Amino acid sequence: MEDFLVNLPDFGNADLRLFAAALHASSNGVVITDHNQPDEPIIYCNNAFENLTGYTKKEIIGHNCRFLQGEDRNQKSRNLLRAAIKDGEHCTVLLRNYKKDGKMLWNELMISPIKNPQGIVTHFIGIQNDVTKRVNAENELVEERELLDEQVRERTHNLEESESYLSAIVETIRESLIVLDSELKILSANENFCSFFRERYQDIIGENLFKIGNGQWDIPELRQLLLNILPHNNPFEGFEMENEFASIGRKMLILNARQMTLKGKYQDRILLAIEDITERKAIEYRKEDFINIASHEMKTPLTSIKGNFQLLEKIAKRNNDTTYLKGFATAGKSIGRLERLIHDLLDVARMQSGKIQFNFEPFSFRKLIEDAVNVLEQSSPEHKISMTGIADITVEGDFGRLEQVMINLLSNAVKYSPVEKGINVHLSMLSGYCKVSVTDSGVGIHKRDHKRIFERFYRADEISERFPGVGVGLYVCSQIIKEHKGTLWVESEEDKGSVFSFTIPLKQNQYGN
Amino acid sequence: MAIKIMICDDEIDILDVTQMILEDAGFEVIAVSDSLNAEQIFLNEMPDLLLIDLWMPGISGDRIISSLKSNVAHTNIPMIVLSASDTGKQTAMSCGAEDFIPKPYDIDNLLDILNSHLIEKSNSKY
Ligand SMILES: Cc1cc2nc3c(=O)[nH]c(=O)nc-3n(C[C@H](O)[C@H](O)[C@H](O)COP(=O)(O)O)c2cc1C
Repeated sequence: MEDFLVNLPDFGNADLRLFAAALHASSNGVVITDHNQPDEPIIYCNNAFENLTGYTKKEIIGHNCRFLQGEDRNQKSRNLLRAAIKDGEHCTVLLRNYKKDGKMLWNELMISPIKNPQGIVTHFIGIQNDVTKRVNAENELVEERELLDEQVRERTHNLEESESYLSAIVETIRESLIVLDSELKILSANENFCSFFRERYQDIIGENLFKIGNGQWDIPELRQLLLNILPHNNPFEGFEMENEFASIGRKMLILNARQMTLKGKYQDRILLAIEDITERKAIEYRKEDFINIASHEMKTPLTSIKGNFQLLEKIAKRNNDTTYLKGFATAGKSIGRLERLIHDLLDVARMQSGKIQFNFEPFSFRKLIEDAVNVLEQSSPEHKISMTGIADITVEGDFGRLEQVMINLLSNAVKYSPVEKGINVHLSMLSGYCKVSVTDSGVGIHKRDHKRIFERFYRADEISERFPGVGVGLYVCSQIIKEHKGTLWVESEEDKGSVFSFTIPLKQNQYGN
Repeated sequence: MAIKIMICDDEIDILDVTQMILEDAGFEVIAVSDSLNAEQIFLNEMPDLLLIDLWMPGISGDRIISSLKSNVAHTNIPMIVLSASDTGKQTAMSCGAEDFIPKPYDIDNLLDILNSHLIEKSNSKY
């Protein structure tokens, strides 16, 4: 207490001393300057001011406060202070000050004049508050905000770039694209849509899809599909529609649509893509036509050849004319081969255009095999075909097509096996599948050809050199078995005969694709 | 009296050979190449069986069959499609034909089928 009083200026009043003591204990820096002396010398400072600045009283008292500014004199608030002091007014400023050790501090300074009863300023009191932490925090905040702003700008830029990238894609794509809202109003359309359907962009935007072009899009089925998308998030793909468009004529279109969502922005938009397949369909039809015509054109002369030949053979046999018996047999075989070849070629053409028809029906597996064996026994009675194993089971498949496979496998076996050696057909049942194996004792097939012989026209020359007459039958067979979700393969060694086997599932839908 | 079979095919070669085959088998044959006359000839001749192609210029075989079958008097006359078309079987069945024989046919198979329909027809008569 003593020490205190010694350092206090004499205000000549005990109450004032108490106030002074309180100031002394304050955690803010407090200084008092004498306004009546030149250059505002400090006549009092509290402990907190010492702590704040690192200077001791004896280094402080008598100085103008500006020593705290060090070299950093170029501060705007200095002018504010000067003006306030000159006019004897109150003011608050923020200043950069420097401690004795050189460290910077942000000083939030408040100065107030002290006036005598005549209203003349006698002193100034200054209160310093070290707000370095706050200012730094604020500055950091500002910096961070600037950084954030920068990032936002960058992102926006990127977005704009990717948006223009996207729109470049959308505009170059050959499909027509439109975006619809939940009421099926057109929100946007790409260039292609407008040019293909001869619509002006400004005429269709905001219009209901079913209202544009005199309601030419108002097709109940399409309406149903589109209205189903949003409520059930139920996209559709490959909806084919043939429609008469006033501006562009009859078109075959394929439509895909899905819900579009952009997080936080929207989730009730429909992207509708429209592809014009008129040309493609026309080509398909032409191809199909060609196959049908080719089929008819090849079969017609063959019908005449076969009919005439069989009639001649029949009459010759009736007349016991044996002169041409050998010729008849050879011609008969060749006609059969030609018939099968035409059949196979047409099948290949159809398989390629996906136009082959399969009629799946339940039938007795055993009957299928027995029928095929009977056919072969009639056409090649000299070969012995034995049947082993059991498969008294009903399977689901295309009887005619599977019979074609069996006949093909059996005729190959007959063709490449010496007459004296038999052919075996073995039936078996595996879990959910039935299996047939046709074993011959023929020339056999080299391992490298095991896969190739099922390929379409695989180096036909090479294969047919080694297996004359094999044609494209095995390719057709493998496609038929594939269609039944089964497999067809061969196990064989050269000169040791071959085993051709296939499996098919007992039920078609049970083992889905 | 011989059994009368009417054949209709625009392909003369096939028409000829089929006629020879059927005559050789002892049938009386009426061969018609112009499908547009087929219906009238059928009505004039009233054959026991009709063997007819599908794709023909003028009018197709299936249309001739449906037209003839619409007359109750013809329901008992077997009408059989003979065609090289792969979809021939479906077309034949949907126009009301009794059977379908694919081209090229096998003589024995052809005769078997015709005979079985003729037997069925004569059985149902009595
Ligand atoms: C009571 C009082 C306290 C002051 N306290 C400070 C201070 O803590 N830090 C500072 O830089 N300036 C302070 N000043 C301001 C300077 O003393 C000076 O007035 C200011 O730098 C403007 O004058 P100049 O341009 O002559 O330097 C204070 C002034 C008064 C009257």
